[in-house]
Amino acid sequence: MFLTRRTALLGALAAPAMAGSLVRIARAQDTGPIRVGALTPQTGAGGAYGPGMVKTIRTVVDDVNGAGGIGGRKIELSSEDTETNPDAAVRAARKLIDVDRVAAISGTWASAVTTAVAPLAWENERMLFTVSGADSITKLPHKGYIIRTQPNTYLQGGRIGQYIAADGAKRVFALSAQTPFAIDSYNRLSEILKAGGSSAVGDVIYDAQKTTFRSEIDQALKAKPDALFLNGYLPDVTIILRELYRAGYDGKKYTFGYAAGQKLLDSVPAEVTEGLIAFSPSPNVGSPAYARVQQILGAEPDPYSAQTYDHMSLIALAIAKAGSATGPAIHDNVRAVGDPSGVLVTSAVDGLKALAAGKAIDYEGASGPCKFTPIGDIEGCKFRFEAAEKGKFKLLTIS
Amino acid sequence: MENYLLAMAVFAAFYALMALGLNVIWGLAGMVNLGLVGFFAIGAYTSALLTVKLQVAMPLAWIAAVAAAAACGIAVALLTARLKGDYLAIVTLGFAEVIRLIASNELWLTGGTNGISNIPGPWRGVLSPEGFNIVFAALGWGSVAVIALLLGRLSASPFGRVLRAIREDEMVAAVAGKRVLAFKVQAFAVGAAVLGFAGALYAHYNAFVAPDGFTALITIYVVLALTAGGTGTMRGAALGGVVVIALTEGSRFLAGVLPELRPVQIASLREAVIGVALIVVLYIRPQGILPERARTLSLEP
Amino acid sequence: MADELLQLLINGLLAGALLTVPAIGFTAIYAVLRFANFAVASHATIGAYAGIVTNVWLGWPAPASLAAAFVVAGCVGVLTDELVLRRLRPAGALTAAIASVALTIVLENVVRFAFGNDPRGYDLPVFRDWRFLGLHVGPQEVRNAAAALVVMTILFLFLAFTRTGKMMRAVADNPTLAALKGIDAITVARLATFVGMGLAGFGGMLIGMDTSVDPLTGFRVMLSVFAAAVVGGLGSIPGAVAGAFVVGVGEELSGLVLDPSYRTAVGFAAILVTLSFRPRGLFGERAY
Repeated sequence: MFLTRRTALLGALAAPAMAGSLVRIARAQDTGPIRVGALTPQTGAGGAYGPGMVKTIRTVVDDVNGAGGIGGRKIELSSEDTETNPDAAVRAARKLIDVDRVAAISGTWASAVTTAVAPLAWENERMLFTVSGADSITKLPHKGYIIRTQPNTYLQGGRIGQYIAADGAKRVFALSAQTPFAIDSYNRLSEILKAGGSSAVGDVIYDAQKTTFRSEIDQALKAKPDALFLNGYLPDVTIILRELYRAGYDGKKYTFGYAAGQKLLDSVPAEVTEGLIAFSPSPNVGSPAYARVQQILGAEPDPYSAQTYDHMSLIALAIAKAGSATGPAIHDNVRAVGDPSGVLVTSAVDGLKALAAGKAIDYEGASGPCKFTPIGDIEGCKFRFEAAEKGKFKLLTIS
Repeated sequence: MENYLLAMAVFAAFYALMALGLNVIWGLAGMVNLGLVGFFAIGAYTSALLTVKLQVAMPLAWIAAVAAAAACGIAVALLTARLKGDYLAIVTLGFAEVIRLIASNELWLTGGTNGISNIPGPWRGVLSPEGFNIVFAALGWGSVAVIALLLGRLSASPFGRVLRAIREDEMVAAVAGKRVLAFKVQAFAVGAAVLGFAGALYAHYNAFVAPDGFTALITIYVVLALTAGGTGTMRGAALGGVVVIALTEGSRFLAGVLPELRPVQIASLREAVIGVALIVVLYIRPQGILPERARTLSLEP
Repeated sequence: MADELLQLLINGLLAGALLTVPAIGFTAIYAVLRFANFAVASHATIGAYAGIVTNVWLGWPAPASLAAAFVVAGCVGVLTDELVLRRLRPAGALTAAIASVALTIVLENVVRFAFGNDPRGYDLPVFRDWRFLGLHVGPQEVRNAAAALVVMTILFLFLAFTRTGKMMRAVADNPTLAALKGIDAITVARLATFVGMGLAGFGGMLIGMDTSVDPLTGFRVMLSVFAAAVVGGLGSIPGAVAGAFVVGVGEELSGLVLDPSYRTAVGFAAILVTLSFRPRGLFGERAY
């Protein structure tokens, strides 16, 4: 029996789902709705970040559609889950590209995911906007189809090293989660610390999936550091902070804003996080875009959601400038909407109005000035440094 | 849309191949193996490393991948020779996890969590994305057909008969003079080889491999494929591959049907669907995964 | 050097103590029902979340929340066993084990559906470690280990001295004889599942107290828990305890020679080594 009962049953379960999608064969990209895709980690190791990222993307889409769309066309957003897994992400990307026919994709958090999805983007000529930090990503042969709003390891390590050295730390030990850029960022940090009169005294790389880091912390404290650089993510950094407190460590602690947002501060007692300094890429003080993202998320924005807000805004503006909603059109115009001689705009809606009036625009976003090098990296950005005080973050400086 | 379906057909072929491999180890020889993704990963990485780092030609790299996976299959079979059922399950789970850890940590070899990218594919720069998909779909399903045929022959051969005898009762087979260990090792090697081949094809299709892509969940997908298609039959394995992809991809379109749910809820539904499907399949097959003697407590009066 | 070794030993013993409870749960179910119930992973997570709901949302103190974790996980265990696993058991241990894997995937995602992926912590104070002789031990870790010890003692007393406990042991030792003696097999099965999954939930909350709570909390420690049960001998409760300490200490000591990232591989290695010399585990495949 070729088609047995059980396989028929399972086929019947899956068929209606697939049939529904076959009906929506999207066609032309220059009339009808504008299609964009969100590809974010809703589950898996990056699952803490995905929901916020989609929220800001969706809000920009709603704002633009509410103001009349782009040239009268509405934006249609399709959202898929990378599962923080390159295999699943590739299939999700294929669906976005081939079924939903999106012109651009925003999101992709894990570097391995971005590296896997990137060839699909450039081979099909769709724009990929990513928040991944690994240096190797923009070095892929992407023909200009990748824009990365996250400062790469080189840039970040440099800025952070400068700050830590200036902050008076003399012996810095790094606790890094196993990521593609753990070693690169430590090397860059050591280099900059030395130049600033400080020193990196050691590095331990841990598996972020673990639930206890006592041995790693013992190793770190043995080197008698006066400052610790916590180069991990939210779940593991939360545990490490608690264990550092238990171990009686009272020195300086530095980490990335994406690892230590308000969520972390809320989930552990204040004594545990007291004095923790977190840094994130940032726009200028008083940036209206940043304030808008704060409003959307109802809390301190995590750096990724701020970036995806900018992704979607840039997409909308590039399409408007090009007068066409294809991947190549966005590819050709994404830098043009950051024209320093243009009118300063900080939201997609304002930018669209200005473009409609025939003006050149300079979009500055919630994650920074949004100016990109030819290979898609940001040209530079400021960082905000915040310190945890009694369970709340206090802004120290933006520089 | 057609391109998407083509791509999904390619993935279905990979799962069909893996189900075929599992069928030899599990269906024929009755040896539990929850470490499938480990052999898959070995095949993928071997081929990727040879073609990217040493510029070896693809067909040669694929042969090497198959050999590497088979060798590991032999090693695992020898290490676990005396283990039964539940122990074997847990140990093979651990094996797959160790492979993933090695892939993540031995940067000098595998590039760590960064993975290996730019893996070449047959005529990759030359064909359009659609053309490439067509070639790979043909390659994938062609392999499924050929391997299913070969394994079918193997199953009907004396070798296959001995394996089935071992599956039913090892003691009897041993008493009958069969070198049980040798047969088990060979079965493991054959199964692992097929899994390794699937891995090599996967690496060249995706152009990218990373440790994160080889999770234990994939093993579950393969088990689902085999059980849904029908353990013991090669045809069933092929069908199972299609069923699994239909489920994992079909569930994606749930989001359109249930717009009030948040994305993380849609995602958890999709993952749950696989678990539910596996349970449903197990129910529909009252004899279970293997026609084995019931060793659990039959607590029904 | 001796200091370092001693510290690792202490860390290992405390980590092992946390593994004992879910390992006992897993092995107890194996003893009575004769199959590896991988769903203990999700039940550990469920217990941890029951603790979040009672401790953080309802404000209960830790001991009451731990009791809630046990009860909730136990009830879910019995419920899912009735609905899903019971009718598959006659088909064989392998089918039941695979079904339990499928079940754990479903349950983990139910938790994720309800609570999302964000890691959560309990409303409990964090204490500085006690320091002595160049070593350090956390008071919370000691309390957790003590809680594990208390639960083990209660279980031992239950199995050794109560009628129901003896019934469970009878079924585990010799099901045919037990049936002949009129012991109601179905009740014992439900009880074993309730206790086993309850222990998993209790252990899950202890682990959550030590680390953090998210849908993957149970899944992360599972390889170590299975390793502990297998090393000790599937079905043997003292074995599970011994195995848990072997795995806990082994994982800590392995840091001396291995890259810490390979820790989870230690469980795997421990299984291979133990089973090569004693194919039925340290204590053999017996129930208590």
